[in-house]
Formats: sequence, C-alpha cells, structure tokens
Amino acid sequence: MYPSKKKLSGEYVKKSATVAIVILIAVFLAIFAAFWNIQIVNNEHFQRLAIQNITRSIDLTAPRGLIVDRSGAVLAESKINFTLYLVRENVADMEKTMRMASFFTAKKADVIRSIMARYKKYPQFYRIPIKNNLARGTVIFIESRQEEFPEFEIGIEPTRTYPLENCAANVLGYISEITETEMNSKELQHYGLGDFVGRSGIEKQYESYLRGVKGSQIVIKDNLEKIQRIQSEIKPVVGATVVLTLDLELQKFIEGMFVDQNGAVGVVDLRTGGILAMVSKPDFNPEIFSQEMEKEQWLALSNDPQKPLQNKFLQGIYSPGSVFKIIMALAGLQEKIISPASRVNCSGSQNFYGRDFHCWNLNGHGSMNIFSALQNSCNIFFYNLGRRLDIDTIAGYAQTMGFGNESGIDMANENKGTVPSRAWKMNAFRQQWFPGETISVAIGGGSLNVTPVQMLKMIATVALRGRMPRLHLLQRIEKSGQTLREFTPEFSRVPIAEQNFELVIEGLFKVVNEEGTGRAAKIAGLAICGKTGTSQIIAKENPKYKTLTKEKRFMPNSWFVSFAPRENPRLAMVVLVENGGDAGLIAAPLAAQIYKKFFANERLF
Amino acid sequence: MKDYFKYFDKLTFVLLLMLSLIGIFLIYSAGFPLKESNYLKQAAWLLFSLLMFFMIFSLKIDFIFRNAFIVYLALLSILALQIFVGRTIAGTRSWFRLGSVGLQFSEFVKIPLAILLAKAMTRFDLIGWKHFFKLILLIFAPVCLIVLQPDLGVSFILCIFLPVVVLLKKIKPAVLIIFLLLTLLGGLLGWNSVLKPYQKNRIVSFLNPMKYKSSIGYHVIQSKIAIGSGGLAGKGYLKGSQSQYQFLPARHNDFIVSVIGEEFGFINTAILFFIFFVIFYRQFKFNFQNDEEFYFIYLFNGLIFFQFLINVAMAIGFFPVLGVSLPFVSYGGSSLLSFFIGEAIIFRIKINNYLT
Repeated sequence: MYPSKKKLSGEYVKKSATVAIVILIAVFLAIFAAFWNIQIVNNEHFQRLAIQNITRSIDLTAPRGLIVDRSGAVLAESKINFTLYLVRENVADMEKTMRMASFFTAKKADVIRSIMARYKKYPQFYRIPIKNNLARGTVIFIESRQEEFPEFEIGIEPTRTYPLENCAANVLGYISEITETEMNSKELQHYGLGDFVGRSGIEKQYESYLRGVKGSQIVIKDNLEKIQRIQSEIKPVVGATVVLTLDLELQKFIEGMFVDQNGAVGVVDLRTGGILAMVSKPDFNPEIFSQEMEKEQWLALSNDPQKPLQNKFLQGIYSPGSVFKIIMALAGLQEKIISPASRVNCSGSQNFYGRDFHCWNLNGHGSMNIFSALQNSCNIFFYNLGRRLDIDTIAGYAQTMGFGNESGIDMANENKGTVPSRAWKMNAFRQQWFPGETISVAIGGGSLNVTPVQMLKMIATVALRGRMPRLHLLQRIEKSGQTLREFTPEFSRVPIAEQNFELVIEGLFKVVNEEGTGRAAKIAGLAICGKTGTSQIIAKENPKYKTLTKEKRFMPNSWFVSFAPRENPRLAMVVLVENGGDAGLIAAPLAAQIYKKFFANERLF
Repeated sequence: MKDYFKYFDKLTFVLLLMLSLIGIFLIYSAGFPLKESNYLKQAAWLLFSLLMFFMIFSLKIDFIFRNAFIVYLALLSILALQIFVGRTIAGTRSWFRLGSVGLQFSEFVKIPLAILLAKAMTRFDLIGWKHFFKLILLIFAPVCLIVLQPDLGVSFILCIFLPVVVLLKKIKPAVLIIFLLLTLLGGLLGWNSVLKPYQKNRIVSFLNPMKYKSSIGYHVIQSKIAIGSGGLAGKGYLKGSQSQYQFLPARHNDFIVSVIGEEFGFINTAILFFIFFVIFYRQFKFNFQNDEEFYFIYLFNGLIFFQFLINVAMAIGFFPVLGVSLPFVSYGGSSLLSFFIGEAIIFRIKINNYLT
C-alpha cells in the first residue's frame, strides 16, 4: 500500500528545508524588529511606565504649630495618628474592597463611596484618606496582611489634639477638613483635599502661621505596594508656635466656676490689653472636629440652643442693663448736663411723656447725686439724665466707648451689637425716634445690644481713665526660637476728660466698697471698682425661650464689670451669667473669686 | 573515538550549554527579590541533563527508535494514572515526587512522539485521511491527557507538531478543510467546557490588555514595560525594577525573556536570540532525505523553534499568555532534561551521518 521509501521524493523535502530556513531568517528578523521597536523606539515611554510603577509621591502633612499660654503651657498640639488610605489603582474587586473598608472603618459602604466620589478627579494612584485615628488593632491587622489588601495603605500623620479638652475651646477654635468648593476658592487654593483648615478662634485667626508647609516624599514600592525605600524627601515644616496672652491657670479657674450655668467671662491685663482669660459657656471639645465627626454629632452641636460653638464673649449679644449707666454718667458729665453737685430725688417712680417709669427700688432711693446713683444703680437719676440728653448724643458716647462696633480683638466673627439712634431707627424700622425710648436706653434697656468683649473694652477704658486699650490674645508667634511677630500694646485716647472718669470711678468704687449693689465683690485690701447690671428678661421670640425652665425664662442676665485696683489698675473684667438673676448676688461674687485667685498668684494680696 | 570528537557538533553543543547557563544566571536574578534558590536546582538539573545527554548519545539510534512506541505508551499510562490517582488524593501529585525534586512527565512526551511522527512521515508525501487520523491519534492522545492535568502550555506545544508536519508535506485539500473545521469546533468546545476561567482570561486579556490592566492583562503589560524600559544596554544585573520589585510575573520561567530584556537591554537580548538562530540554522541546514531520522531532527527542532517563538511573542504581547517556557533558558528541570535528551538523539543521528 505504502510507496517504498526510495520512491518518495527527497527533492521536495530538500526544497522545504530551504523554505524553512528562509522562514527562520524572516521570523528572527521580525523578532529583532519587534524588540527594537519596544526597547529602542519606545524606550522612553516604557521607562516612564516602569518608574511610575515603583515610585509614589506621598504628601507629608505638616504638623500644626503649637498654641500655648503666656507661660508656655500647651493648649493645642499635634500627635501621631494612623490614617487609612484607599488607592483605587490597586483595587481588584470593588465589592470586596468596600466590604473590607467598611469593616476597617466601621463606616457604611455608602459613606465610603461618597468620600471616594469627592476624589473623582484625582489620579487613580492618589491615596484617599478614608479614616483617621484608626484603631491600633486595625493598623496591625492591615499591616500584617498587606499582601491581601494592596489597595489599603496606612499612613502616619500628625493630627490636631487639645490636651485640655474643652478648656479654652472657644478661644482656640477648631480645625476641620477642607471641602471641595472651598478648595476652588481663591484664599484656600493652596490646600488639597484631606487638608485641615482653621475654622474659628485662634486656629482660624493665625491659620497661616499654624499650618506649616507640607512636605513630600518619593518612595520606591514593589508590586504589593510595600515601601522598599524612600528615594527622596522634602520634610514638612512644622507650623509656628502661637503664644497667647492667656493665663491657663486663671482660665481653668474661671471655667471651673461655671457648673450648670452659661455665660461669658473676660479678664484683661490693663498694662498691655492682653486677654488673660476668655470663657464662653457652654463649650465643646475641639478635638472632635480634627477627627471625623458623625453627622449626628455635628447636628447636635450646631443645633444646640445653648450654642456651644458660639463664642459668647465675641458673638453673644445682650442688653447691657444698668452697666450702661457708666456711659450715661460719662456723657452727662462730659456734656456738662450734670456735675457732682447735681441731685435728683428718687421716689421709686416718675412719669415721663405720660408714662410711669420705675426704679428697681420701688420705695425710692431719696436724694441721689452721680456717686450714689451709680452706687445704688438708681434708675430715676438716669431717667432724668436721659431726658436731658439727646439719643444721638448718648449713641455717640456709647460708640466712643466701643459699643456698636467690633472691638478689634484678634479674632474673627465678632458681633457688632446695636446702639440705637435716630438714624439707626429710621434705617431699621423706617420710624421716627420717640423721646420715651431714650428713657429706656438711659438705663441700658430698649434696643441696646452689646457683646461681653465690648463691655470689657469699655470698663478697661474707664479703668485707664480714657486710654482705650487694643484687646488682644496674641502675645507672639515663634518659630524655631525666632519671634516672627510680637504684639506691642496699643492705646488710644478717648475724647472724654480724665476728671470725668475719676468721678465715675468714685461711683464705681462705692458700688463695691460702700454697700452698693456690687458689695458682694468686695475684698479687703483690694480696691475693686465695678458696676452691676441685671438686664431684662428674654423675649418670647427668642429661640432660646423654649429651652429654658419656667423659672429660668424670666431670670434676667447678670452682668458685673469691674477693675482693680482703683489706682494703677491692673485687671479689668466682665462677668456675664445668662439668666443668673440678681447681678449683685450672682455675677459680683464670681468676680471677687477671680480677683482673689489672680492677686494671690501675683503675691499682691 | 577520535572521529566521534571530530564530528561532534561542538559549536551547537556549546551554544546549548550557553543558553542553559544564561538561564541559570537569569533565574538567579528572577529569584533574587524573594531569595529563592531555584538557580541551584536548575544547575543541578543541568548537570543531570548533561549526564543523560551523553548516556542517550551513547545509545544506538535503532534501539531508541525501536523502543519509542513503548516509551510513548508508558508515558501515556503514567499521565493517565496521574489524573486518576491525583483525583483520589485531593489533587496532590506527591506520589511522583522524590524529595524536593518533581518530575513533569508531560515534558518528555515530545521525544517519543517526535520519533513516532517521524516514522509515520516516511510513509507518505501527501497527507490523506488515513495518515491524517494516525497523526491526530498520536498527537491528541497525550494532548488530551495533559490538558486534563491541567497543563495548557505543554499540551498546546505538542499540538504544534501537526502544523510542523503539514508544513513539510502536501495535504489533501478536503482533509485540510475538515481539519480546520474540526479545529474551530474543538476550539469552541474547549472554550466552553475544557478551559478554566483563568485560562480564558489569559486569552481574552491578550485581545485587549488595557481593559484588563489591573487584573489579567497585567502580566503582558508588566512584561512589555520590563522589556521596553531595558533600552539598549539594560538596567544592569539585579537592577531591573520590574524584576526586582516583582512587577514581572512568572519571571523565572514564562517571562524570563523580560528579565534579560530589562536588565541586559536590546544588545544582549539580541545576542540570546542570535544563539537560538545559530542553533536552528545549523539544525535545519542539513541535507534532508526521506528518512525518519531526519524527520525527527526537523520535528524536534520545529517544536523548539515554535516554543521559542511563542514564548518570545508572549513576552511582548503578540501571543496569549499560555504558560509556554523558553527552551533551555526557563526554569524547569523536566523541560531542560527533555530538550537535552532530544538533542542527544539529534547529535547522535548527525554523527552517524558523518561517520557512515
């Protein structure tokens, strides 16, 4: 059947062998060409890809600068924290990744998805921070199984921490993560997603000093994203240290005095204008903002009717009450409407413009001069003074003494308050001013609204006999031993005669030391001058109204402004207790305690 | 004995030895990041392979050719047994391992198969139905068994014998058409029932590597980056970032070309290819006759050539990643040994040719 071997043509086979060699040569030429194309022609392209494979640029967050008090006690610092990052490039199975991510972070997958959505425009290899302050156990778990989770990375980053928790919270403010819209704004254009920015208080005011300069690192990584070595590094620059005028011990002492009351206290060093204590109650722990806050937590804080996030010292507006009588007295004396000899008889009430106005002492104070009127806070005396002064004149003196305007303290978001005048009323209500309103304003009522910081500035100016200090919290900013900025005290002269201040101070001295309304503030051996203010109850329209108990709703706010000692004054302070009741019983004793504390430390007492 | 030395193809032998040594050198680099000692194993295998080379070389060709069918059947039974026993003991095949040395029997099938095919080829100039079925039977019996192992690479390589035979012989058009249709059918069948998902993925990813960038197209992309970034002179021994930071997969066997491409550059890669070329050229540049011995040389070299071509094409993304190693160079003792045994037979045939 088969042809014999010899009959098969060897020629054909030989020809095929030649063809085979031709094919062989052609194939090898093709291979050489292909490799030439990849290795030589496209070398640069592939080299770039090879470098991209192994190198990663990592942003190094700069530790935020310290915030310290006048003696160097730390109020805010940076601590090490573990952040969990997700790198989309290394995700093999998104479902699994989301499952693991929500397991690691205890966040819902939707929450993580929404975080990732924010980084849509970022390259795939970008490290998206999905959780900071990762629990140690989770850190160890992920690090030990890095091969299983190449898409997750753990970074060690500084995070803001406030070692004293709520202490001075409203002074320090807080920081929080930048949002995408903010990043596109001009002032924050140098920030990246995931960066934190100061939102209030000192953190906001001195953001540019505190933030430091971000660093970066180029690392060599293997295919499992394990860092093999650091190729180059630009170290982050730590933010500068902000030294405050605050006296931490005093601050803590004052905060401790408020147990279940709300209010504000400010203490100023009259030699410099530096704030020694600034308290706003209730407060909050600023650290919860530098971590990730749950939505409920944020809503609870921001919707709290007691407004813990509001710095009441700068932003809370209150009726000044009888404290305003200081302004009235100054205006009356400066305008020469009254003199130390002027007397008014107080019978408990008096009719002005067809309406009865009452003194708080319905039995009447009897014959009052400027000193006794201040000492007893007699309304009738000041009603009469108000009747003889024009509202615009009163407004002028109020503004001169700092009301109706920002105090200029080095903190943002101050409230200006309201100083009523003819023009103000026309502007606000399109109405004429009625003379009867002036009578109310004369005892610190009516539409008058002030902030505690304005009160502090006012009483400081009185203490300094017309030298108005610039209030400030910053002492200096330091960076590696060098002072970048230092506050130099600034005073400006108020156009009111010094002797008129002396007269008012005489009255204020009597308030405390001669059985006046502020006698509860009296301390033997320290000449404290002050003025109480028990300001009107809260209006029904005020949203706070509903949250207060029945008794508290009608409790007036207690003010006590004061300074000491009378000669060469050292301290001025304002104490406000919301719904405290009688200022002489509530606010004045608090002030006494503060003076005791301070002067005990100063060894003057 | 003197004549033996004189006519022994010393150049080809040295080149084969060079390929193996280059292989060990590259396997060292491939195992460097994980401190693997594969290169030592490969060196031991090389020594053993050389021993076997001279042992086989000293045998009579007639003896070898006579016993090819028995060896072929023996290997088939071992492969069948492996599937059977391997199944019963939970997928492990430890029974054919001796200590840490494992034998991959599928690698050796190509030798008796090439002999049997060579014998068959002496019987026809034109492939008719009868011859065709005989070829199919010879080739696909081991291929089926190896597919079930599963070893896609080796079974695929054995299939290459068929076109190698057809290249040298004429074929009836009807047979060819039916063959192509059957291939298509077999392909579809294989795709739907035999291939495992990961094997399919390799083929799919070849068609569109960028789409599977982070998963299955990864191998080819990383291999191309390795080779391309090597440039003219390479990044230096043990200095290739793709190899040393382990971006390159299976770099000690299937992607060993990428290691030389990256660390030694175009020049040295071209030298490696040139060594292959010289070997093939010397083997093919032979006065062919219608003789089973020459057909064997042709078939065996044809197999090496295609395996080389597929491996290289795979590394630069011109061919799906099928787990085909680079002859003599890639890590794998059984593969190295089988190639040296085959070469021993070829060397013996050529020497006989000179001596007679």
